[in-house]
Amino acid sequence: MATSPTDTPLAPLALRGLGASVPDGRERRVLLDDVDLDVAAGEVVVITGPSGSGKSTLLALAGLLRAPATGDVVVSGTSTAGLRPRRRTDLRRTNIGIVYQSANLLAPLTAREQLELAGHIRRRPRREVRAHADALLDELGLGDRADQLPAQLSGGERQRVGIARALMGSPTVLLADEPTASLDPELAAEVARILATEAHRHGAATVIVTHDDAPLRHADRHLHLSAGALVEVGTVAS
Amino acid sequence: MFLAWRDLRRTWRRFLLVGAVVALVAVLSTVLAGLADGLVRDGTSGVRALPYTNLAMEPGAAAVFSRSTVTADDADAFAAIPGVEASPVGVSFVNAASLDGGASLDLALFGVPAGSFLADRRDAQDALAGPPGLVLSSEFLDKGVRLGDRYRLGGSDVELPVVGFTIAGSYGHVPIAFTSLATWQSINYGTDARGRASAIALKVPSGTDHDAVDSAAAATGTEVISKSRSYDGSPGFTAETATMTLIRGFLLVISALIVGAFFTVLAVQRTRQTGLLKAMGASDAYVLRDGIGQMAVVVLASTLVGTAVGVAMVAALARTSAPVDLSPRSIATSAALLVVTGLIGSLVAFRRVTSVEPAVALGVEG
Repeated sequence: MATSPTDTPLAPLALRGLGASVPDGRERRVLLDDVDLDVAAGEVVVITGPSGSGKSTLLALAGLLRAPATGDVVVSGTSTAGLRPRRRTDLRRTNIGIVYQSANLLAPLTAREQLELAGHIRRRPRREVRAHADALLDELGLGDRADQLPAQLSGGERQRVGIARALMGSPTVLLADEPTASLDPELAAEVARILATEAHRHGAATVIVTHDDAPLRHADRHLHLSAGALVEVGTVAS
Repeated sequence: MFLAWRDLRRTWRRFLLVGAVVALVAVLSTVLAGLADGLVRDGTSGVRALPYTNLAMEPGAAAVFSRSTVTADDADAFAAIPGVEASPVGVSFVNAASLDGGASLDLALFGVPAGSFLADRRDAQDALAGPPGLVLSSEFLDKGVRLGDRYRLGGSDVELPVVGFTIAGSYGHVPIAFTSLATWQSINYGTDARGRASAIALKVPSGTDHDAVDSAAAATGTEVISKSRSYDGSPGFTAETATMTLIRGFLLVISALIVGAFFTVLAVQRTRQTGLLKAMGASDAYVLRDGIGQMAVVVLASTLVGTAVGVAMVAALARTSAPVDLSPRSIATSAALLVVTGLIGSLVAFRRVTSVEPAVALGVEG
């Protein structure tokens, strides 16, 4: 089953006939069955589904972290089917930003350095990276927390740093894996709002997988993943 | 090494254990290098100081003086080659019993003709040309031996006075004493020496026609060996150097294994971090550079500290009677080998780092 693509002529992210399964005893359990999805620039798509339904697997495939068993992931017009791992890494570096559950920050780096690392990996000039990192931290209200280590930040602050880090590469595709799962409802709502705002502001095609309600309030589209298929639940308007 | 430097700076305690082990290996390696150098010096310093470039010995003697007998006249065949100097030399280990009630001395006795290039100092030539006597290594001065003291050489009835002291060094860990070749022959062969000596010492300048040297060797029935090969004949030299090399080799292997094990554990602990870096677009080369670079810093810093401590210990030991010596070259070689083997050890985690899938950053396996 497939969801209808948007009417955008060249979506930054397009999933075509994606298939994935995992071992389940002697059988294989299907996680994704011929899944199609197009996400337009600046669009926020929220995917919900029960635990183990394959949401994270879908995100891993969309983020080029894994190669799909079947189907294709098209990023900014580039088909990745049969692409060598090195080229997939290049595409990931230049086009994709990922926000993780619990932020997934690196313990020895300050908030600013988390962002600078992303610039360092992209081999951007140090001065430019620093200015960009400071601008993003200011944008997310973390200007005065730039020199703090993750252990010195609150859960909400850590997640905001994670969002800023994902935006450091000016990605065309922004993916978020349960970004509000480890936060209390108030912080979850705040982080979801920031994530959607930044996605719109930076024009990134955004996919958020969650089983939390907070991101739904900011979704342009809401899809539900079940039995290997994506089903459109509704839009913000509906 | 963006992440590696900051990790080292902020979580340096994590590296203390492996750093301490590498530093201790460096200490031990440096001290052993000092001991190896010291034993080599103690075993061969006397022959190293002699100004010869080659020795002509009896074939099959394997550089051992006691296995070689030549005749002093053989030197003439080599001396006939333009530019080559040749001198017979007799070498044997003797015990000198004091006739004045003092302690007996163990000596590596070198018999050298008075006009030999081996005795290049005027006072040495005079001592060898005068009445028969012993020129002893100056360390005997510290043991109370004085000019004029008389000794009977073991295995013979020859009695000799001490006629001088020199910085002679030692051979086979025994202090060297010089006497004239004629005296040496009478000690070893009595009145039936027939011109015998242990070897012909040669001074062959660079650019000499080596065919001529080979021809002279063939004519005299001798075998010409290099000066460095002549050290092999020093009693215990080969066994000592082989033992030291073996111990140091084991130390290097142990160090490499420790670094490898540590880095492997670190790589396992950092699986998610590695996945995250790859998910951010870092290449395998980037991640490896960061990890191996970090180990290189740890190994280098630990080696420097350990080597410094080792050098200080060798310097302290040098003030005792321990046979230690340390050249800058030995220090550098010892430290460089430790760093290189440490880095080789860190490469065992190479596969573990490169095999991490970026999907682990999301907690998705396979």
